[in-house]
Amino acid sequence: MSGNNLIFKNPLEFIKENAGHLPEDGQFGAILARAGEGKTSFMMHLALDNLLRGENVLHICLGQPIKKVCLWYEEILQGISDQYESNNTNLMWEMILPHRFIMTFSIDDFSVKRLEERLGDLTEQGIFFPQIALVDGLSFDKIDQAALIKLKALAKEHGFPIWFTVRIHREDNLGQQGDIPFPISPISDLFEVIVQLRPAGHEINVQLIKGQRLDKVL
Amino acid sequence: MNRDRAMVRNIGISAHIDAGKTTLTERILFYTQRIHAIHDVKGKDGIGATMDFMELERERGITITSAATYCEWKGYEINIIDTPGHVDFTIEVERALRVLDGAVLVLCSVGGVQSQSITVDRQMSRYKVPCIAFINKCDRSGANPFRVIKQLREKLNHNAVAMQIPVGLESDFQGVVDLVSMKAIYFDGPSGEQTRLEEIPQGLRAEAEASRERLIDAASMFSDELMEAALDDRVTTDVLVEAIRKGTLVRGLTPVFIGSAYKNKGVQPLLDAVAQYLPQPMDIENYAIDLENEGVEKRLETDPSKPLVALTFKLEEGRYGQLTYIRVYQGTLSKGDTIVNSRTGQKVRVGRVVHIHADQMEEIGSVPAGYIGALFGVDCASGDTFTAPGIRYSMTSMHIPEPVISLAICPKDNKAHVKMSKALSRFTKEDPTFRAYVNHETGDTIISGMGELHLEIYVERMRREYDADVTTGIPQVAYRETVTRHAEFNYTHKKQTGGAGQFGRVAGYIEPVEDEFVFENKIVGGAIPTEFISSCEKGFKKSMEKGQLLGFPVTGVKIVINDGQSHPVDSSDMAFQAASRRAFSEGYKKAKPVILEPIMKVAVETPTEFQGAVMGLLNQRRGMILGTQDEGNISVIEAEVPLAEMFGYSTTLRSGTQGKAQFTMEFSTYRQVPKNIADELIKKAVEEKKRAA
Repeated sequence: MSGNNLIFKNPLEFIKENAGHLPEDGQFGAILARAGEGKTSFMMHLALDNLLRGENVLHICLGQPIKKVCLWYEEILQGISDQYESNNTNLMWEMILPHRFIMTFSIDDFSVKRLEERLGDLTEQGIFFPQIALVDGLSFDKIDQAALIKLKALAKEHGFPIWFTVRIHREDNLGQQGDIPFPISPISDLFEVIVQLRPAGHEINVQLIKGQRLDKVL
Repeated sequence: MNRDRAMVRNIGISAHIDAGKTTLTERILFYTQRIHAIHDVKGKDGIGATMDFMELERERGITITSAATYCEWKGYEINIIDTPGHVDFTIEVERALRVLDGAVLVLCSVGGVQSQSITVDRQMSRYKVPCIAFINKCDRSGANPFRVIKQLREKLNHNAVAMQIPVGLESDFQGVVDLVSMKAIYFDGPSGEQTRLEEIPQGLRAEAEASRERLIDAASMFSDELMEAALDDRVTTDVLVEAIRKGTLVRGLTPVFIGSAYKNKGVQPLLDAVAQYLPQPMDIENYAIDLENEGVEKRLETDPSKPLVALTFKLEEGRYGQLTYIRVYQGTLSKGDTIVNSRTGQKVRVGRVVHIHADQMEEIGSVPAGYIGALFGVDCASGDTFTAPGIRYSMTSMHIPEPVISLAICPKDNKAHVKMSKALSRFTKEDPTFRAYVNHETGDTIISGMGELHLEIYVERMRREYDADVTTGIPQVAYRETVTRHAEFNYTHKKQTGGAGQFGRVAGYIEPVEDEFVFENKIVGGAIPTEFISSCEKGFKKSMEKGQLLGFPVTGVKIVINDGQSHPVDSSDMAFQAASRRAFSEGYKKAKPVILEPIMKVAVETPTEFQGAVMGLLNQRRGMILGTQDEGNISVIEAEVPLAEMFGYSTTLRSGTQGKAQFTMEFSTYRQVPKNIADELIKKAVEEKKRAA
């Protein structure tokens, strides 16, 4: 099975088709879920979907080494190709590798300024030009609104949207279904698309809580 | 020699280059009174550390071959293998881990978990070696053992738990607080040989209490007794130690110790820990393959009275002939015994049996199960298994990587040629990743290995130890060739030159496959008689040895034969081999062959201010940067770079980063060479062929 077929069969494709509005350059998307409910996994699917389309993905991960992030990719890609009985994973892997750049930071050392410096290193030397950025592990309890505004400006300047994983807590999620939970609620204006993952038995419900309404069962 | 196996510890000391493992070993030998003076690596006295006994190691300040030694600490016999830190010598580390029961992972309190530590850790996990960690260099500016513990957890997924906390750090590093005994330990005397126990300084009391709580929490996962004791607040030292030991043996817990070997601090508690927490030989399950019984795995018993099973793990040519390091897993190896090399079937009579301490030795009569010793005058290769007559076991084979780089060497004269041959014969026996062969076309002697430094060291050793004057050519990358599409072949080999003729027709197809070589016979109706099918396979295999683009081996090819023809008189093994070779040649050309090159995984550690420059340098070398890891002042850049582009990289990196960055590299995979470079390589190969002709 080719990469194109995999894109076609990727459940994310349906979401994209139906949501109509996905974050554009300088815009933010958020994937909300409680711990262990598949935020990172969802983000990896999002990354692979873009990579298989030949888009450059900048994967920013806080608190994890590069090796671990690479392992996630390998596992998810293997899982997808096993599911669709694809036998050319190696070829696909080689195809997507040049389009992926992983940047990891320790949680305490991450700042927008530092990211700006790192991005500068990449783009000034023509090493990598991201078309989408994914940020995994950022603590929204600690980052302030001003920093996020700066980050938005940085994304706009470099021409890519950013998706974040956001960890929510049980007690933050007591409101009505569709309410935006803490810690994203006070800064929800900054996000164009917000998706929440909810486990339902063996499935995960993907609920669009900001952006065009869409309920889809993965 | 201590004959109580419960009092034996066979350990390795592994780490990233320059984390200080040789210095640590030196201190261990000093405190266990195996040596009576301390000589530092690159020390001012010019003597060098005891374990770096080869002249070259002393000069370069790195450990190249792992020397084995033993020492005694509070009644325990500790056999130590000092292992090299450079990735080019990984086979030495792997061998050491194969024969040892436990390991000390040495980490630098400033550098933390570095790339080589990750490689070493992966090896430890492959051989299921329980380990304890020692965070060294706590006296250095920027030392932060807590950050390293966090890295052990995050980067290596160890359940790392502090066994000590430091009393002061950096230039103020005075000693440690032991969280089991809850005492502060200081190291007095000119070489820190006297330990002084004191009460915990007031300012550290709360931190020590909290750290001990964490230690008890972690250890209680491995002992119900400790968990109950902790609930009742009556944890005793014995219960805690036993729980930590249990956790360590199953690799569920990594106790972390701290110190500064150079400043003579923290080494004695580490020795106590080796005795307390690392396994005795009976704690480890070892298996051998029964060669007489279809390769069934047999569990070995650490029992000196059982038939002998022992593994050779290192060879050295010393003043008194070949010295063979051996680990006995079962039975006893005694002077005068007759033992069998299960690879060759050769019977050997055991001569001298010795205990090795770096380049000194002590004669002993026998080596019982669980111990490490050395033999003299036994002709064997590294990795051979010796058994008692009557059984034929082989210890599980070691994972040996394929060489990725080669170099032509040429002796200056006939005398040098003889010496070079001697040296090569020994080095290839000692190190399975080092190979030597003669290229029949050019007549050159080619050596191949795991990296530039690897080969450089052997050439240097040839000169120094064997006085073999050799010149070297330019390093050559071990390219491979493969096919990229399906192609058919149909070749008839017909030769009639008087006497019996030759006839054979082979038809089928060739296509790419993930395995190295697949041969499938789909002949129906006896178009090729069964007795000639293996001749066809042989012919195809032979063709794979040399591709048509560059002359490098062909890999990843599936051959299917589905038709053919034979002649009742003229067909023969030779005729079908020849027909297959030609058929391969025909199909190969049509199957769009390409050149593959070895790709190295490169990890560069650099101060953050040079991150951009380092990425630029890697990019210039066709490197694909996988990612960057920002860790405060230090960054790690991981990339995949073709080996062909890595020659001279260390010099470029040094000049580009004011000598502040370092890198490690290891083989990752083979990947297709870009078209423009492939064309260049083919052009060059054609020119060389013309020149040779």
